[in-house]
Amino acid sequence: MLRDPAARLRLIVALWVLALLPVLGQLVRLQVLEHPRYKAEAQSLVRRQYALPSPPWGVITDRNGDLLVGNSPVYDVGAEVNLIADPAQASATLARILSQPPDKLYASLTPVTTTQRWAWRSLAKNITEDQAARIRELQWNWLTLTPTWDRYYAEGTLAAHTLGFVNEQGLGYGVQAAQLRFLRGETITHYGNVSGNTSPLPEELAGRNPIPHPGTNLRLTLDRTVQAFVEGELATAVQQYHAAGGTILVLDPRSGAILASASLPTYAPSQYAQYAAQGKTDLFPDPAISRPYEPGSVFKIITVAAALDSGRANLDWSYYDSGAIEYGGIIVHNWDGLAYGHQDLEGILAYSLNVGVTTLSTRVVGPEIFYHYVRAFGFGQLTDVELADESPGTVHLLTDWDWADSYLATNAFGQGIAVTPLQMATAAAAIANGGVMMQPHIIAERQYPDGRTVNIPPRPLGRPISAATALTMTELMARAVEREVPQAEVPGYRIAGKTGTAQIPTSGGYDPRDVIASFVGFGPLPNPQVLIFVKLDRPDVPPDMRWGSQTAAPLFSRVAQRLFVLLKIPPTMARESIDNG
Amino acid sequence: MSVLWQKQTHGVPKQTEQANRKVALLFLGGVLTVTLLAAAYLGLVAWNVRLARQVWTMENQLMTMERQNQALMTEVARLSSIPVLQERSVKLGYQPAKTVDFIHLEDTHAP
Repeated sequence: MLRDPAARLRLIVALWVLALLPVLGQLVRLQVLEHPRYKAEAQSLVRRQYALPSPPWGVITDRNGDLLVGNSPVYDVGAEVNLIADPAQASATLARILSQPPDKLYASLTPVTTTQRWAWRSLAKNITEDQAARIRELQWNWLTLTPTWDRYYAEGTLAAHTLGFVNEQGLGYGVQAAQLRFLRGETITHYGNVSGNTSPLPEELAGRNPIPHPGTNLRLTLDRTVQAFVEGELATAVQQYHAAGGTILVLDPRSGAILASASLPTYAPSQYAQYAAQGKTDLFPDPAISRPYEPGSVFKIITVAAALDSGRANLDWSYYDSGAIEYGGIIVHNWDGLAYGHQDLEGILAYSLNVGVTTLSTRVVGPEIFYHYVRAFGFGQLTDVELADESPGTVHLLTDWDWADSYLATNAFGQGIAVTPLQMATAAAAIANGGVMMQPHIIAERQYPDGRTVNIPPRPLGRPISAATALTMTELMARAVEREVPQAEVPGYRIAGKTGTAQIPTSGGYDPRDVIASFVGFGPLPNPQVLIFVKLDRPDVPPDMRWGSQTAAPLFSRVAQRLFVLLKIPPTMARESIDNG
Repeated sequence: MSVLWQKQTHGVPKQTEQANRKVALLFLGGVLTVTLLAAAYLGLVAWNVRLARQVWTMENQLMTMERQNQALMTEVARLSSIPVLQERSVKLGYQPAKTVDFIHLEDTHAP
């Protein structure tokens, strides 16, 4: 039957078709029926979530563009430990490069169980480029080098509290923690095809934007020269007066810009982890914004300003100072226990009379008006400066459950009320700025990675007192300095200021020995350009030297003298001469 | 061999032969077209992969340069930091000014 060629041909074709049918069937099974399963299996082998190399964080500069915080290129080292042939030899070699004990490395390089196919371990973080180069020379395929960044503090501990730090969990202090969302670069993670070492394949990157945006750069209002000088003067004063610590703030009262913020004791932000390991985390919060204190007599400027601005007292107002006044179940005495006879507002500030301001708050102004001004000057509220961990302080109000009448008396001279140095400086700056209180700020400009630059303009917070009251207060404060605090004067410049010597509250009363000495002043008059707040914690000097006028005021004078030169502010007489042509 | 066998094996009517030739040419043309298209597609894929590789390499270079840039920036900052500047100034013999005097030039506003 197969003699017919056509039949033979049909037979061959049939055989071919029969032979191809299983192949075709398999193709249908693989490509159609089981296509989703095989596709998923294939993708599970090559598709992984991968992160593109992390971009640098935004850098931080001072107002003149000098770098304060930058980025150092570093590497993290890891190892696929199950691929290591000789852990002992490897740990000995790596120990020399990484400066780590060989025993510790050997423990890291030895797999715990042999059933693990892959076991990756981190060996070291933040190694330098030189160390990375030496590791590359080893050509060990089980070693992984991940490029990353470490924050670099160009000036060491300069402005440590202001700059702060951010840990790996994204928590921290200072401007870096407060501005983390701007500073941190964009981290790009995708789900896509990766190579054997989990880096994305070129064709995977071809369809995406593979360059993560770096962080936003910040230009601060700080001036590093002013900051360095202020820190040096503070360190000298703390040493000279054997103080436990201290704070100096320098503000431009016209804009609220913080030119310097120095506090002691301080720390090195680059080594925050070591401080944390040693339990020294109490060094991290910025005393200028996070540690409220009872301001003492410096607060008298608020009481006098409230009396003047409310119209309840004027320059002709006077009272008889008997050396003591009773209110709310307590008796208030003057700081020296003496009676000062007939006194006016100038006398109250010049002699820093507790009886005088208590008379004003309790018998002239009253609680509603007094606390209206306390709130208007920003006390008991956050200033919203761009720094992390700010405290609002403590102000007891009439409506509070723990209100006591005696608060009205003690608050008048800065007791029973807690404020931060920045709040006190901001309130005093309002007096210096003609009654307009400016938002204290530390950021002058944001420079976005796309090239946009956004200036942060000065922002008025409000007008707690009128311009006329501010002018009167300025004159009263200037005369107070000229009459009673010559230690605070600056040759060639007229300044206004107020001293403070505050007792330190303890459980059940006040510390009988230690005080906080402070001074807030501004100048040069009549157009103040700089406000300086000085605070010394627990100066350990003879009792007659612990007053703010003996410690903080001379420090203010030294700082102001130099700052006027650094900021190119001519002396009052020279300026008047220039202004008059 | 019968005439019928010869006809069936070697003898093809002229009309049928022409039709077969057309089919064969068409098939050949189709194969050629598919081959050309496949070759073009492969070339395009290869070109795309090569470009992707170049982009990848350039991105790596960009990252390296970014790291060098940041390293140089920190080095410049270190060299111009206040402690280093102070040290260099002292070595050069500079001292902090003890007094600063402002001089008012009387004829500043003179035409």
